[in-house]
Amino acid sequence: MKDKLNSNRSRTFLAITIPIVILFFVFNTMAVIQGFGYSLTNFKGFGGYDFVGLRNYIDLFSDERIINSYIFTFGFAIICTILVNIISLVLALGLSSKIRAQGALRAIYFLPNILGGLVIGYVFNFFFTYILPGIGEAINSGALSNSLLASPKTAWFALVITVAWQAVALNTLIYISGLQTVPEDVYEAGAIDGAVGFKKFKNITFPLIMPFFTINMVLCMKNFLMVFDQVVSLTGGGPARSTESISFLIYSGGLSGGAFGYQSANAVIFFVVIVTISIFQLRFLNSKEEQL
Amino acid sequence: MASISIRNLNKTYPDGVEVIDGLNLEIKDKEFIVLVGPSGCGKSTTLRMIAGLEDITGGELAIGDRVVNDVQPKDRDIAMVFQNYALYPHMTVYKNMAFGLELKKVPKDEIDQKIKEAAKVLDLEKYLNRKPKALSGGQRQRVALGRAMVRNPAVFLLDEPLSNLDAKLRTQMRTEISKLHRKLQTTFVYVTHDQTEAMTMGDRIVVLKDGKIQQVDTPENLYNKPANIFVAGFIGSPQMNFINSKVTQEGSKYFIKIDGCTLEIPAGKNKNDILSKYAGKEVVVGIRPEDFHLDQAFIEMAPKSLIDVKIDLTEMMGAEVYCYGKIDDEAIIFRAPSRFRPKEQEEIVVAIDVNKIHLFDKETTESIII
Ligand SMILES: Nc1ncnc2c1ncn2[C@@H]1O[C@H](COP(=O)(O)OP(=O)(O)O)[C@@H](O)[C@H]1O
Ligand SMILES: [Mg+2]
Repeated sequence: MKDKLNSNRSRTFLAITIPIVILFFVFNTMAVIQGFGYSLTNFKGFGGYDFVGLRNYIDLFSDERIINSYIFTFGFAIICTILVNIISLVLALGLSSKIRAQGALRAIYFLPNILGGLVIGYVFNFFFTYILPGIGEAINSGALSNSLLASPKTAWFALVITVAWQAVALNTLIYISGLQTVPEDVYEAGAIDGAVGFKKFKNITFPLIMPFFTINMVLCMKNFLMVFDQVVSLTGGGPARSTESISFLIYSGGLSGGAFGYQSANAVIFFVVIVTISIFQLRFLNSKEEQL
Repeated sequence: MASISIRNLNKTYPDGVEVIDGLNLEIKDKEFIVLVGPSGCGKSTTLRMIAGLEDITGGELAIGDRVVNDVQPKDRDIAMVFQNYALYPHMTVYKNMAFGLELKKVPKDEIDQKIKEAAKVLDLEKYLNRKPKALSGGQRQRVALGRAMVRNPAVFLLDEPLSNLDAKLRTQMRTEISKLHRKLQTTFVYVTHDQTEAMTMGDRIVVLKDGKIQQVDTPENLYNKPANIFVAGFIGSPQMNFINSKVTQEGSKYFIKIDGCTLEIPAGKNKNDILSKYAGKEVVVGIRPEDFHLDQAFIEMAPKSLIDVKIDLTEMMGAEVYCYGKIDDEAIIFRAPSRFRPKEQEEIVVAIDVNKIHLFDKETTESIII
């Protein structure tokens, strides 16, 4: 009786699991292995190709375009991570305090998260190209009259605004759930001990939501290093390749630039970099997390 | 060290419910005062207003000579022990106690000395480097007490501090808190819903119901001279028996009738001839479970206050038996020495100690005679 139940259960388990494993293998694992294979060739994306060994990997390190895209992507990711975490923490604190229409406000702030990156990119593209300069002209401000997207010096900033605007939503939500794990009476004990204002945040709130901070840091860093949609729709990597992120370069160089094998090598390196950074972050931040 | 004056205190929560309504209370310096009452009667609300954790809607609150209505909790010179301990989970026991003092910029060696002292009194020396989650409930409670102690506050506020402990530990901590009070010589305000805790710990007890004070008195007086039916029923376990009856008058003597039995009310109890107002009227008779007597000597001495009881059930408690029975159709409970354990369903005769009976006004529920 029990055996029958068990075998029934394991049959269900297998029936659900196996298709997923196969799908994952075919569309994910296979693709990765294939990509690694191509990275050892001079494949252009069409036609024939030759095996070139580690040639692509060696060339990567002296390719200025690739080095620039790494510098840009890391700078962008770090600035964006800091900005997003500060803004979402402040928002979460505000939305967790006793205010009117708390539920509605939380819903509104979460809205950007459900929009696609491409959509948001195009909306902001319109905003930066027409609306903001329009306002600038109306108030006779020279700085605002030119589109942020027009200059290599400012385009990255437009990208930061666009990406951060969307990312703040999920991060705020995570911080709000973090704040809800702190018992009210611990704050009250703090109020009696004199932990008010910033002291309360520094000594009680922040240490107690440290696990949520870790999650947000790792999620942000990984997502921002892989920024792609918004680059496509907002800047197309320009002007003058000033906003060419690594993912964007892999895509544009590999698929339309005729360097499929070469950019596959770039993708493999990039994959290793992201995994390394995430593991390092988790280790480092975990050690800082108070063992509650 | 400080007294506390509560004058006409009011609390209405934002949802419009008036929880505390015109509360007046003078708490003396060094007094151990207990706020007791059923759940939801506003004990915590009152305590939290004293602590400054809850805004005061109306009235005035003074600690010492200072009106503190608008003073922040940290500046009220109070310490509070919470029901769920409210320790800082990310700090060690040592840091939990040190935190408040560090924020007050007390010198490190002074903090250290205070913590060592408190840890010694509370038997926490071995645990100073542990985090709260590695402690038992009783130990956490002691840390919470220690955190309050090192602040050296003028007033200790405790909100049901023992309700999360098991029965044995609760009894033990009860005496420890009483000892602590004697040692520290400060004002303690202690909230509980447990009348036993209130009776054993309080110098004076405040009985609350629906946000209103029913009676403020010493444990003895609350037990012996309850001001109304609520207090009489709330204090004492098992509960006082309440039996509906009628007062009759013959000359200068007054009687009450219970189930065909007529009990004479001792003349000494009828102060200022108050009973004259109640002649012919319905009243509630209150009799404590220990004021029924089964022994022959008492029965012979009081032939006029005998009454028939039909026993439903008895509960053996060890030294005594709780007997559940019926007089007429009203359920009563009385205590008897265990050697007198009656049989169930037996019809027995008991004597009522008329010197100990209470009468209450049926309408106002106020005490008439005690
Ligand atoms: N924050 C609040 N908002 C609204 N009503 C509350 C709040 N806190 C307590 N109450 C109400 O006030 C009454 C008294 O609560 P409380 O003081 O906690 O009672 P006790 O501690 O005696 O059990 C209860 O009816 C409770 O529902
Ligand atoms: Mg309470």
